[in-house]
Amino acid sequence: MHVTEKKFSRFVSSDHPLPWLAPLLAMLVTFTIYPLIYNIWLSFHEYAPFKRRLEFVGWDNWSTLIGDDRFWASMGVTLLYFAVVLTIELILGLALALLLDSEDFGFGFLRGLLTMTLVVPPAITGMMFLLMEDPEFGVITYVLETLGILSSTQPILASPSTALMGVMLADIWQWTPFMVLIFIAGLRSLPQEPYEAAMLDGASGWQIFRRITLPLLSKVIAVAVLIRGIDLFRMFDYVFVMTSGGPGTATYTVSLYAWQQTFSFIKWGYGATISLVTLLVIIFIANLFIYLAKVRW
Amino acid sequence: MPHIEFNKITKDYGAVNVIRDLDLAVEDGHFTVLLGTSGCGKTTLLRMTAGLETITGGELTIGNQRMNEVHPRDRDIAMVFQNYALYPTMSVRENIGFSLEVAKMSKGETAKKVNEAAAVLNLTDFLDRYPRELSGGQRQRVAMGRAMVREASVFLFDEPLSNLDAKLRAHMRLEIRQLHDRLKTTTLYVTHDQIEAMTMADKIVLMKDGKIEQSGSPDDLYDRPATKYVADFIGSPAINFIHGTIEAENGTPVFASVDIRYPLAPDCAAQPGQAVICGLRPSDLEIAVTGDISATVMLAEKTGAEQNLHLKAGEQHLIVVADRAVPAPTGQSVDVRINTDRIHLFDAMTEQRI
Repeated sequence: MHVTEKKFSRFVSSDHPLPWLAPLLAMLVTFTIYPLIYNIWLSFHEYAPFKRRLEFVGWDNWSTLIGDDRFWASMGVTLLYFAVVLTIELILGLALALLLDSEDFGFGFLRGLLTMTLVVPPAITGMMFLLMEDPEFGVITYVLETLGILSSTQPILASPSTALMGVMLADIWQWTPFMVLIFIAGLRSLPQEPYEAAMLDGASGWQIFRRITLPLLSKVIAVAVLIRGIDLFRMFDYVFVMTSGGPGTATYTVSLYAWQQTFSFIKWGYGATISLVTLLVIIFIANLFIYLAKVRW
Repeated sequence: MPHIEFNKITKDYGAVNVIRDLDLAVEDGHFTVLLGTSGCGKTTLLRMTAGLETITGGELTIGNQRMNEVHPRDRDIAMVFQNYALYPTMSVRENIGFSLEVAKMSKGETAKKVNEAAAVLNLTDFLDRYPRELSGGQRQRVAMGRAMVREASVFLFDEPLSNLDAKLRAHMRLEIRQLHDRLKTTTLYVTHDQIEAMTMADKIVLMKDGKIEQSGSPDDLYDRPATKYVADFIGSPAINFIHGTIEAENGTPVFASVDIRYPLAPDCAAQPGQAVICGLRPSDLEIAVTGDISATVMLAEKTGAEQNLHLKAGEQHLIVVADRAVPAPTGQSVDVRINTDRIHLFDAMTEQRI
């Protein structure tokens, strides 16, 4: 242990660290730190269209935001979307990973097939599902109507009660395989011996899953949840393509709202404020999760 | 009464044959050691007993019941793995109690059994630790504890001591054997270490290339090795081999090699003219004033109470275990006396005992 530590520290240390750090530092400053600071600065300003310049407005944007029902509605939609989709993708992903983790003939092909959804651009996926959920000729509409789950008078994406589910469907289709891939990689890296020991100890398949697999896989699950969770929180493409936030505000996510305020209404300062709040919520939820899930990096 | 029986057991991995037509009976309550070099099939045999490997051919019975198709969890077997196979996310307490937990034993009963096992194995202070926080010896004891609380009908050990240092290994040998003497559970123990086998076993099964070379008590294997391979494998320092032929001299058979001539017992079964290998254990040779072989000391290795003398008799290399008081400076000429009763003769072609 000591030897590797020494080796490692020699590897990462240098008498002249600055030249080595400079490229990374420049990237970070240009693409992360400067935009963040600019965003904070922007949230205290607003674009004045007639004067064609930014004007200092103090805490105006922040106080507007607190009283903005549209914003809170979009935050609600985002949180609901986040919670439902993440849960389904997690459970479905884990189940599929367990099923596909096999060396038998054909499983490699199936695993490869599963990754196909990931190469489709999300906007295209949105278009696909828009067509498949079309009330006239959509295949999903047809199947759901045939099964009696959906009444023929209720278009999926145009009804407030089902529109968000319609969007979720696209997300789940596209991103569950991502979870599957991470989980399969995780399952593959697990030691084999505890499983043999557990079998001899008399554990059933379910007991082995609950007491051995799940705890061993917890770090991998935590990483997958974190990556997908952050992604879900800033979901934009599907609603933009499929519903534009409608009907009403049923599918209006925070990202869509921030985009609308910034680029449709030219309220740059307000858009910046919304995105900053989104960032704060993500940081809060992520850290809460890291704390609760006892993830140690 | 045999408890575990292997009848014509065969194991293939694809086209590779690992074990062929192996017959073995493991007596009830005995401590049986499967001994052999790596790749001889001993671990495969053990894993087939546990149900962790499928059996290609033949029949395995435990307690007169066919086990070939029985799931590992239903075989009533406890196993200690080479790398311990502890559950990394469970504490020592949970590790030891896991089999009881899945058997739906009451919390109080489980705690009692776990505490008992922990007390026997000196693990009481470590019950709330995790495997990663334990030393190798402690992990080994947790693995033992896990097997102990099971009260299974068969114990399997897969080289459980190979990751421990020499002192701890000697200590654990004793503990495992004492545990067996107390529990009297039928035990199959795999090792490549002949000292482990000699010190612990009721019966040693020495395997070579997927077949049983010889099985019997430790004394049987040491005193009457069936083949040259067995003679070579058992005993430390290793047995001396001298190639030679049998000659008849005045009606008595004589072993003759380039450098050594030695009369054999008249009832010796070897035929005049037969090419043989003579096996002489280092402890059956003695430095004497007048002996049977004249040799020169090449090196004296002190091992404490004794010394291993490396000698040269002509071109023949010999090791003799002598008392450390015997003066043997390098280059000195010595005489070696052979204990006639303890000569092992093997046919040079078949390497079978004569």
